[in-house]
Formats: sequence, structure tokens, C-alpha cells
Amino acid sequence: MGKLTIGCFASLVGSVSLDFAVKLSDAAVKKGHKVDLWVSGNATMLSKKGQKAFKDYSHLAKTLTELFATGNFQATACEACAEARGYHKDDTMEGWKRHSMDWYLASCFSADRVLHIGGD
Amino acid sequence: MATKRLGFIVRSLPYKTEASRLAMTHAIASQTVEIYLEDGDMVEPVVCFIGDGVLNCLKSQQAMKHYGITSLEQHVKNGLLLDLKIMICKEDIEKLGIKEDSLIMDAEDIGGETKAQIVPYSEIQKEMDSVDHLLFC
Amino acid sequence: MKLGVFMSDFRTGSDIIDRLNAEKLGIIFVGNGIYHATVKENGKTSNVLDKSATFYALTEDLESRGFSSANLDSRVKPVTYSDVVDLIFNDYEKIIWI
Repeated sequence: MGKLTIGCFASLVGSVSLDFAVKLSDAAVKKGHKVDLWVSGNATMLSKKGQKAFKDYSHLAKTLTELFATGNFQATACEACAEARGYHKDDTMEGWKRHSMDWYLASCFSADRVLHIGGD
Repeated sequence: MATKRLGFIVRSLPYKTEASRLAMTHAIASQTVEIYLEDGDMVEPVVCFIGDGVLNCLKSQQAMKHYGITSLEQHVKNGLLLDLKIMICKEDIEKLGIKEDSLIMDAEDIGGETKAQIVPYSEIQKEMDSVDHLLFC
Repeated sequence: MKLGVFMSDFRTGSDIIDRLNAEKLGIIFVGNGIYHATVKENGKTSNVLDKSATFYALTEDLESRGFSSANLDSRVKPVTYSDVVDLIFNDYEKIIWI
């Protein structure tokens, strides 16, 4: 079994690229792999707690909660990107970590595969 | 002891999206990654500007003056100051009519010694072949 | 290198594909990239399909956009997320998203 690190810049609402990242994480974990998910830029929205489900907007919180429960998935948000957007440690969904960008590079160091969803 | 090389391939235009800025800040974060790694392990980034991404490397960007934000020029200079390998695609600057003297080639004004390199795409392809992971931005 | 490319857009990214060299190249159409595998603009299939590569399209993204596997160009194989995981770990050592 391998380790996949996924990094994503795309926003939770307004793009489905982040949906792709979470769905791929789910599929990889179900096959026994470990997944690290890093979000920075607008993607940090994914780590915000209190997201309400509306049918016109992506809602990934439930899947994330299930992924955290497996123990084979960890997700980290860029601390500076989140703070710049006005949400703070107390606003962060349970299970998430917040670190600086070097965390992502360290995750890439030990990953078998890296998928970086940058400027799309 | 191991070194993993990460290739940041920047093809996004600056400012409209955050992609090229985040590419630079993530690459620069390699300077502090050791706190998460075993002794002797390293992450070495290389940043390659291709396609429209070469426009991030233009001199005289005044984003701080007009928007109060750090320019991509400053980020490229910071990268050079920290001795990051920075490559700019020769064919793409020629295609866009950009001359070398319009590009940020060094960070001498802030004490940097490393220079950016204008290289044919074939050299960037070699970098893509040699790095451990590719991160397109 | 063995390179897997996630192509997520219809109107951008073809320039990158044109230039990429890899001893083994896989192109996985996801998101709006699936239009490369389904739409014939002015009766012509996407130039991306002329690249020497193995092509895949994500079924969920096909179906989300009103297509099915039956609409796929014959060069393109439909894949699920589970299949994509196997491609990532078994077939391609580097993967990129454009």
C-alpha cells in the first residue's frame, strides 16, 4: 500500500476540483492507501467548521469526517491562507491540522505519489 | 539521508489567481521543511516558468504600490536570494516578445548570488524527468 | 518517465500536452476535460487525442455532464475513481493536473 499526497488550491464552492481531491482521497483510502490532503489558498475553506449543506454547493464535510475516522487520512490547511481569509484555529473543523507550507513539502517527501491541483 | 526534488512548473498568469504566488511561497517553504524531516533529509525545489507563466518574471511590477501586496517579482527575487533553481522557458519569452533585460535574472539588490536561467524547453523537460514529483501551478 | 496527466479543462492545457514528453504517457480526462473525449467541434475530434498516449475518462464526470461511456471516442477508456487510484499507484510514477 502506498501514500498519496494531494495538494489543492481550488475553492470548495465555485469549483469541483476540491470535490475531485476528496473523492480521490476516499477511493484511495478504501483501497488501503494512506492519503495526506493539503489545502492552501481558497481551498482552505474546506477546513472551516459549520458548513451547511445546500444542494447548489459542494458539501464535503460528511465525507471528510468519515475519512478522518479511518485513521489513514490526514488533512492540513495552510495556516496563513486561512488566517488571511478570517478564519482561525477555533473555526477549524474537527480532525484538521493547520500548519505552514513546509508541512506539505514534508508530506511530499515521504509520498509515493503527489497530485498537485494548482492553477486550474 | 535523502533529498527529494520537487518541480514547481508555473504556467499561470500572476494576480488574477493565486496559483503562481502559492507556487513561489510553497517552493520557498523548503527552507524550513527540516523541522518535519529526519536529520540529513532535504526537499529541494526547482521552479520552472513556462507558457504564460513566464510573465510572472517581468521586472518593475508595482503590485505593492497599487494593491498593497507583494509582487511576483519580489517572490522570484526571494527565491533567488535563497538559492532556488529558477528556470524560464526561452521559447515562451521569445513567443511573447520579451527580452532578457525585461526579466528578473538576479537578486543582487537584496544580496542574492544565484541567477535565474533562461533555457530551452528541452532543459525544462529534463528537469521534469529528473525530479521526484511534479507540481503544476 | 511514466507520466499521468489529469486534464481538467476543455479550452486550456492543450499547449502543455503538445510539449510533454514521456516514455509512457497517460491522459485522464476529468472535470471539463471530458469534452475532449466526447465532443466533435466542427465535426473534428480533439487534437489532444492525436497525442501518443493512453486515454481515460472519469465516468462520474462524463455522467455529470450529460454523457455516458457510449459517447466516448473509441480511443478513450472509461474509468472509476477506484480505477484512477490503481492507475496512479501502478501505472504512472509522476502525476500532474492541468
